[in-house]
Amino acid sequence: MTFEGSVDDLIHALASVGYQAERRLATAVFLSLRLQRPLLLEGEPGVGKTELAKALSKVLQRQLIRLQCYDGMEQREALYEWNHAAQLLHMRAAQDRVASDQIEREVYQDKYLIRRPLLQALQTPAPGAVLLIDEVDRADEPFEAFLLEYLGEYQVSIPELGTIQADTTPVTLLTSNRTRDLNDAVKRRCLYHWMDYPERERELAIVRAQVPQASQQLAEQVATFVGRLRSQPFANAFQRGPGIAESVEWAKALVSLDTLQLDPEVVQDTAGILFKQREDVAALLPLVDELLAPDAA
Amino acid sequence: MQLGDARTGKMADNMVGFCRALRRAGVPVDSARMALAIEAAMCVGVSRKDDFAAALEAVLISRQQDREVFAQLFASFFKNPELAQKLLSQMLPKAQEAAKAPKQKARVQEALTAVRTAQQAPKKEEELQLDAAMSASASVRLRHADFQNLSASEFRLVERLARDMALPLPQVPGRRTHAGELGKRMDWQRAMRDATRMGGELLHIPHRMRRPQPLPLLILVDISGSMERYARLMLAFLHQATRRVPRAVFAFGTELTDLRMAFRLRDADDMLDAANQSIQDFAGGTRLGAALTTLRTAHRRCLVGRRTVVLLISDGLDTGEPQVLADELAWLKRHSRSLLWLNPLLRFEGYAPLATGAKVLHQHADGMLAIHNLSELEQLAQAIAQLLGTRRGQMPLSSSWRAPASSSQDRRASTAMSHS
Repeated sequence: MTFEGSVDDLIHALASVGYQAERRLATAVFLSLRLQRPLLLEGEPGVGKTELAKALSKVLQRQLIRLQCYDGMEQREALYEWNHAAQLLHMRAAQDRVASDQIEREVYQDKYLIRRPLLQALQTPAPGAVLLIDEVDRADEPFEAFLLEYLGEYQVSIPELGTIQADTTPVTLLTSNRTRDLNDAVKRRCLYHWMDYPERERELAIVRAQVPQASQQLAEQVATFVGRLRSQPFANAFQRGPGIAESVEWAKALVSLDTLQLDPEVVQDTAGILFKQREDVAALLPLVDELLAPDAA
Repeated sequence: MQLGDARTGKMADNMVGFCRALRRAGVPVDSARMALAIEAAMCVGVSRKDDFAAALEAVLISRQQDREVFAQLFASFFKNPELAQKLLSQMLPKAQEAAKAPKQKARVQEALTAVRTAQQAPKKEEELQLDAAMSASASVRLRHADFQNLSASEFRLVERLARDMALPLPQVPGRRTHAGELGKRMDWQRAMRDATRMGGELLHIPHRMRRPQPLPLLILVDISGSMERYARLMLAFLHQATRRVPRAVFAFGTELTDLRMAFRLRDADDMLDAANQSIQDFAGGTRLGAALTTLRTAHRRCLVGRRTVVLLISDGLDTGEPQVLADELAWLKRHSRSLLWLNPLLRFEGYAPLATGAKVLHQHADGMLAIHNLSELEQLAQAIAQLLGTRRGQMPLSSSWRAPASSSQDRRASTAMSHS
């Protein structure tokens, strides 16, 4: 099912399932749906790349199929595998009854084929699937070559069974944390979008949507604080700044502590939610007063 | 379509012109992308400028570094074509350079800023014939002579020799497998093929073993005044010897310079020229701590998982803060497999790291290796293999390993006492 409507409709549809998308991102997703090209999302960890795939699958009413990449991933784990143990049992059971070449035909049947995510995405019944290939930068070069072939044709040839083509082309999203540069050929095949951390208004909307119990004042303070943490000059003091998930968790924690307003003490107590490294928590403490200072509007 | 026919025609021309401008600025755009960009623009419409820009960016840009170039060119091109022409004409000398060496990219900002005075490249070396009649003692002397003590022509000869030396670094088992009987995992596919021929019987169980993979390298070269000859020679040597290995090379003095683009060139002389041009602080002082901070904030991705072996080529005469250096080295050690210090000062008998920087380095490094003459370089691979064959914190096999002076880890301290 292709998405009917404009970029605005897409933004509203995503917002209705709880994903606040900025306009640039919505345009890229819109184009990916219209031009039927995969979309490569790059960005720091924690900006909402995987969440977008989940939201998109809800909007399009398609099944979400997720392939988590890792170093050394092979076609066996990504595409398909034969259930060798079951095949062996079948062969042992049938060896007296049936001739050996007939055994071979029986053994390489559909029911002994274990379908992994990439093949599942091709064979999902209508309306199709949203295929999320997560952290594709962690996979290695041979896997990328294979992926390029897959993304180009959306068909797979299994020697024993023949060629399998997609009934409906899956909507493909690739995410990367940019730990290494991807192959140019893969990038050429995809559309590209760099996801930044959200600016204050969008962060506020996200916090309010995810943590409805938080008061407007607290949500605004959280959004301002985290926005400042990510901007210069404070960003240099921290090795890994907080992502969107961390700021939402922090808001939930503050609500559960019955906080009405941010003060240095509660920030220090809950710093472990925003930062996961000892040096970052230590670096936060001297900056808290400056970060909490009200805006010089 | 919202636009009339005449305007669509003009828009297509504008788009093609814009794509060509992007290409001249170093963004790889080919004709297929251009066609896709026009199609995307028609999907989104040109009524909203930000949507139009976002659509073009999604199609034409594929790297985060190119986004600024795109933004500037888009702003100037679609607002004011004359400004774009001016930008492009300023970029033309660089564009010629780009035609020669397509890997180097001219940036829009570079076109607007003043031209940097390039460092003077070293003179082209004359062809040297290795004299077949050179006596055995002379060649032995060359292999064992310290690089600092060589004459200019001898140094050139030795550099040539160093480029041909191999560095067989140890490999670790990777995660991919291939057929091999030494492995532990069963090879089901081959087993099944055999079994179908035998009617389900398996006479022999084939196995798979893990493929060896080279360890990624992170090479940090000190280019301060005292290290001049060693730095040059080590760069030439490592450039040729580690071609098959994924490597990231940085030079540091008072600041950190990225040499990865230079190392992509095939020829060692071209690499040295390119390195010369990119390094701005040759023969200055050394501030390793500050350089490591820059590495940690800007180039953290060069450390691949925890497999990277860090080769730090320096004499340890550091003028920065020792505490900063200690913190940064601790971070580097936590994120790498091994931190090896290649120290040319080991040419002095009875060298002990007494300078503050050297003491901190000696404390944190997993091993200190000599690199002051050709025979040491030949044994470098072996020495690295020995050091890598041991896990951190355990007793190494060889007694030639120099123990750290003072260490809080008990096992290392006790073994150090027994060795030093």
